[in-house]
Amino acid sequence: MELYTQIKKWAQLKPDCVAIFSDGHYLTYREIEEYSNALSVFISEKMKGSDSPVIVYGHMEPLMIVCFLASVKSGHAYIPIDASIPEERVKKIIDDSGAKLFLSPSSVPASLKWQDQLFIMDNAEIEDTIALYRGAETSGDKFVKGEQNFYIIYTSGSTGNPKGVQITYNNLASFVEWMVSDFRLKEHQRFLNQAPFSFDLSVMDLYPCLYLGGTLWTISKDLIANPKWLFQSLKESNIHVWTSTPSFVEMCLMDQQFSAEMLPHLETFLFCGEMLPNETARKLKARFPHAVIYNTYGPTETTVAVTSIEINEEILNEYPSLPVGTPKKDVEIFVVDENGNEVNEGEKGEIIITGKSVSKGYLHNEELTKKSFFLYHNQPAYKTGDVGYMKNGLLFCAGRLDFQIKLNGYRMELEEIEAQLRKLSLVESAVVVPIYKESKCQYLMAVVVPKKHDFEKEYQLTAYLKKELQQLLPAYMIPKKFVYVSSLPMTNNGKADRKKIANEVGV
Amino acid sequence: MNIKNTVLELLEEICQDDVVKENLDIELFEEGLLDSFGTVSLLVGIEEKLGIHVGISEFDREQWSTPNKIITILENWA
Repeated sequence: MELYTQIKKWAQLKPDCVAIFSDGHYLTYREIEEYSNALSVFISEKMKGSDSPVIVYGHMEPLMIVCFLASVKSGHAYIPIDASIPEERVKKIIDDSGAKLFLSPSSVPASLKWQDQLFIMDNAEIEDTIALYRGAETSGDKFVKGEQNFYIIYTSGSTGNPKGVQITYNNLASFVEWMVSDFRLKEHQRFLNQAPFSFDLSVMDLYPCLYLGGTLWTISKDLIANPKWLFQSLKESNIHVWTSTPSFVEMCLMDQQFSAEMLPHLETFLFCGEMLPNETARKLKARFPHAVIYNTYGPTETTVAVTSIEINEEILNEYPSLPVGTPKKDVEIFVVDENGNEVNEGEKGEIIITGKSVSKGYLHNEELTKKSFFLYHNQPAYKTGDVGYMKNGLLFCAGRLDFQIKLNGYRMELEEIEAQLRKLSLVESAVVVPIYKESKCQYLMAVVVPKKHDFEKEYQLTAYLKKELQQLLPAYMIPKKFVYVSSLPMTNNGKADRKKIANEVGV
Repeated sequence: MNIKNTVLELLEEICQDDVVKENLDIELFEEGLLDSFGTVSLLVGIEEKLGIHVGISEFDREQWSTPNKIITILENWA
């Protein structure tokens, strides 16, 4: 992949073409190229002798892209952290990654400012630095390439701490190559970005867009929070390529306006992050008769996505549960039983992904890396923990082996939420139970054994616990419902008996 | 049909929290009780139970922020 040269090329050929547009703010290709060059020289100087990653903190500010590119051009991986992540969790990521530079196109969280080891730059300081270094650039041999880390994305970990998935230049290059060749994407299209940059679904639109000289139209969390504004923004977007979780498009489908009439240029839908229901794809087909819908699948550990399939009438009619398709050409997929033996077609087993998309593992965590990453048929391989089966040469997903779940497209470990809950001063012990409807997780329920407290009513205790959790976990990981019990049933080996608990509270 | 009771039942089911019946002026979004996905369920429920169709693009978070405000809007829905 010549990502760097492609962006440079667009900066020369289409200097005034907008690369990213976000809530009325934008940057052109010339600007992202020049600004990232200037900032990369500063980062190289500042970080001389260190290979630590750079944290880029914010939401969807256009300057985020400049910071990403500046980091990799100075030879440092970047760690995207969304501004909605609580400060406690941000601190954990800083400690775990050993990052020494913190770039914040958004405002800097107050409690981080005391960190001595960390050099923090806010929006104004980044802009001043870019102005100061204007015209300077780093030589290409400094750029992140080959097996060096390009980005590190932190994802929920069952121990209670998030873990950093390392994605190399080669991993990303293979992904982008696949995106631009297999999905009928064209140059200079407009791409929707709905996912925060800390969620790798955003990589599915960001880098193909920049590679093809397109324009990224971002949907910020404020817009998603206020559907009235969201629809206003969509109407103005003129997008050609839609990338989102199925949950997000389902929300948009709720409104009759959401159709080809409102988005006349929309040609391609890309879905990833969770199961795409047949019914949702069908509704989309009816509203957007000329658009092509792709379903894809892949964990963060194998670079965004590794399988795909076009969802057409035939597929919709043949498979009530939609397949996730066939692997990209430099990846192989195996379904194995608990002894690691490959199962027959149609039989369920754990999905193993091998090949060029597989990450080198979790940053600074050999133990966790060894658990899931290994060599298989002499290829780098990742044990996904996802259950799946092959049928007619197509891969289907069928749940999880462990306590990882997807809620509205967000991946999380129930054990991480439990670990945080148990730390709260008024919680004796707790288990988190996912509540399903039509095989999709609707919300999380916390079953809590409380300590002695002075609240008169349970809802007051719930409000208090939720407030406390908000300091520790992102909003999407906080259980919706709280149920209080005097004790939690245990299994014979001393673990909380989740099945029994779910039954007892009437799920 | 009683709009107030229907809305409170719906909110209790969607928010999974009794507080919405105890405090009708609670800020649903600020308190983290309702998010965009909850909003969708609320609008579906309103259409099913009250026969009032509110498009999601008509939903303004500021105006629909508490149980009381939602009830008032629906009671005056033309």
